[in-house]
Amino acid sequence: MIKLALRQAQLDPLRTLLTAFALGAVIAVILVMEGFEQGQYYQLEQIVLNRKADLIATQSCVTNFIAVRSSIPQLSRAEVESVDGVINAHPVTAIPVIYTKNNIRTPVYVLVYDLKGGPSSIINGHAIKNGNDIVIDISLAKKYQIQLGDSFYVTDFEFKVSGITEEAAFMMPFAFINYDGMLDLFIESEIAPDLSTFPLLSYMLIELAPTADRDWVAQQIEATVPSVDVVTPQQLAENDINMGKVFYGPIMGLLVTIAYVIGMLVVGLIMYSDVRSRLHSFSVLKALGFPLAKLFTAVFLQSLLLLIIAIPLGILLALVIAAFIETASPVYLIRIFEPVIFSQTLMASFAFALIGALIPLRVILRSDPMMAFQRT
Amino acid sequence: MFQWAWKSLFKQPGNLTGSALGIAFAFILVIFFDAVWQGESEQVVAYPENIKPDIWVMQSGVGNMHMAMSFVWDWKADKIASMPGVKQVTPILYLNNVITAGDTKMFAFIVGLLPDAQRAGPWSMSAGRQLENSGEVIIPDVLSGLTGVGIGDQLRITDRDFTVVGLSSGTYSSANTVLFVPFKDLEDILSSTGTYSYLLVDVDEGIDAKALAAQIRNEVEKVNALPHDEFIKNDFSLARQMGVEIIVMMTAICSVLAALIVAFTSYSLVMRKRQEIAIIKALGVTNRLIFYSVMLQTGLVTLYGFIISVVFALFIIPYIPLLVPQLTLIVSLESLLQLGMIAFIVAISGALLPTHMVLRLDPATAFHV
Repeated sequence: MIKLALRQAQLDPLRTLLTAFALGAVIAVILVMEGFEQGQYYQLEQIVLNRKADLIATQSCVTNFIAVRSSIPQLSRAEVESVDGVINAHPVTAIPVIYTKNNIRTPVYVLVYDLKGGPSSIINGHAIKNGNDIVIDISLAKKYQIQLGDSFYVTDFEFKVSGITEEAAFMMPFAFINYDGMLDLFIESEIAPDLSTFPLLSYMLIELAPTADRDWVAQQIEATVPSVDVVTPQQLAENDINMGKVFYGPIMGLLVTIAYVIGMLVVGLIMYSDVRSRLHSFSVLKALGFPLAKLFTAVFLQSLLLLIIAIPLGILLALVIAAFIETASPVYLIRIFEPVIFSQTLMASFAFALIGALIPLRVILRSDPMMAFQRT
Repeated sequence: MFQWAWKSLFKQPGNLTGSALGIAFAFILVIFFDAVWQGESEQVVAYPENIKPDIWVMQSGVGNMHMAMSFVWDWKADKIASMPGVKQVTPILYLNNVITAGDTKMFAFIVGLLPDAQRAGPWSMSAGRQLENSGEVIIPDVLSGLTGVGIGDQLRITDRDFTVVGLSSGTYSSANTVLFVPFKDLEDILSSTGTYSYLLVDVDEGIDAKALAAQIRNEVEKVNALPHDEFIKNDFSLARQMGVEIIVMMTAICSVLAALIVAFTSYSLVMRKRQEIAIIKALGVTNRLIFYSVMLQTGLVTLYGFIISVVFALFIIPYIPLLVPQLTLIVSLESLLQLGMIAFIVAISGALLPTHMVLRLDPATAFHV
């Protein structure tokens, strides 16, 4: 039966290739969509983990890093640092702004940092040296064709781009400034009449002594400083991912389901069409005494073979699409090779083969062995 | 010749329908992408669109509402209210934050309303009442359905619990869920005093909103004032550009998929009928006529698939939010017309390979046994 399936594929290589490309396109659609969703979650995770903290202090009852307002009293920094085991509590402030240039608007998450919590890597230029410097995500640089040294206006205040980084999450590019920059921004642009309106301190990145017990220190800080909650970066990242799943889950779930239906339909259509065109051959096999199970196995193996050719094509196509999207707009990350999703898609492809082989089953059942003696 | 094309296509209705369904689903995926994108973009502007003041006033450098942060001195509201042509000024406070409803944490937009500012509140209520006291919240009815948090239940914003007193309709979307709380409560959450986020300015009859907005920008320092249409345009364009690359790429790949299915169907048909086509060629029918016949077949298969997808879009998609209420799906005529153009290109590209095969077919094969 394997030989029959192989021979069938070799009989018309152009048709086999066309079929494999169609199936490959379906697999690519699924992989890109799943990869997009996984990429979003990965970015949400990395944006927290890249701050490189042992523990993170948030405003009491605030459990997220992204898309949330966290405001901690400034005096609490000294209180946190006074707890045994804490070496430093590095301040970080998050300011969401809408960057506008040439009438094109982009939401940007500006992270203000002191010594820690800045950009995880600088791919071009240098880190912040003075209050006017800003490090921006590459997607912003590309979108607005911003070069190093160019002006970058945030609510009328002029920063100079000193570096380019690669940090984005929740479909938003990030930018980094220091506290001198933030104060200048607030005062000079009269961003807020009452500075207390703005969170001057959003999070604290807590650096622990090497021998400190992380859980114990977290409990001590929460007991000593009631205005803050203390979580591990992993917990905070997990909370953001869960929030992301509420946002992306229904949309991506629906689209991926449709893509799976298309996959099954395409395999089914191809196998149905193939079986119809070889009805005479099936009649001959039936006349020769081949049981239905064997004939079904032949069709299943053939669809499996097509998918084995289609899967590498699909992966290749998905990689090309992902590269194109990431190049055109680096704010997105498409993680095609996320192990769970990747294996899930491959498993689904085998399910396509099975279902695809089931669709023409009725045609095989109805093929008459008497047809074997008729001329085609 | 065209009759042959028509008959040979419809002689195998199973193949034809299967191919059309494959094409239709590829198109349906494109329609879905666009409907989700369009729906979420429309929903992003649902609040400002429904509140509809003549002029929006906000902090200088801010020009929209979605994901923006704006603070304006309260005295600026008084100054604007005293300007000639201004009928009324309704201030609101506004915050993007994560809320906790039941076990669900989600991103939401919270609007703080002054006691007499129902003009800026929910425009349609499906249950309950308006805000009356501190600690009350009005949430979208869809959010209530999804989380099980209903009237009388608690919902948490940062470290404060609010009691749900009303359910609003038309205020939910994945990207833009709008909640209403008393102004004072939101002021406490923000630790702010004497500031507003946006000022909703209504003008007297006969007053040119555009000119008055310009006057506000000139006379009130450090504020931006935009006529309603321009403000909505800014918000809508911000929402539209998010995810545009994904939509374009997915539309392209789904179109390629549809073209491959068309090519596969037409190629299979041509290969099955190659002896018939050879006979037709031997009988003297020109290549051009055969070419047009194959084009007709691919055109018909694509049209069939396109019609199925349009029927699906018009009659099924509107009911999908009943199953998945988190989604706002909008199918626009413009997107269907665009898809029609794509279908046309798909039909032509799908015909390239089979027509090439047909044109190369040797009439002598008609006499092979």
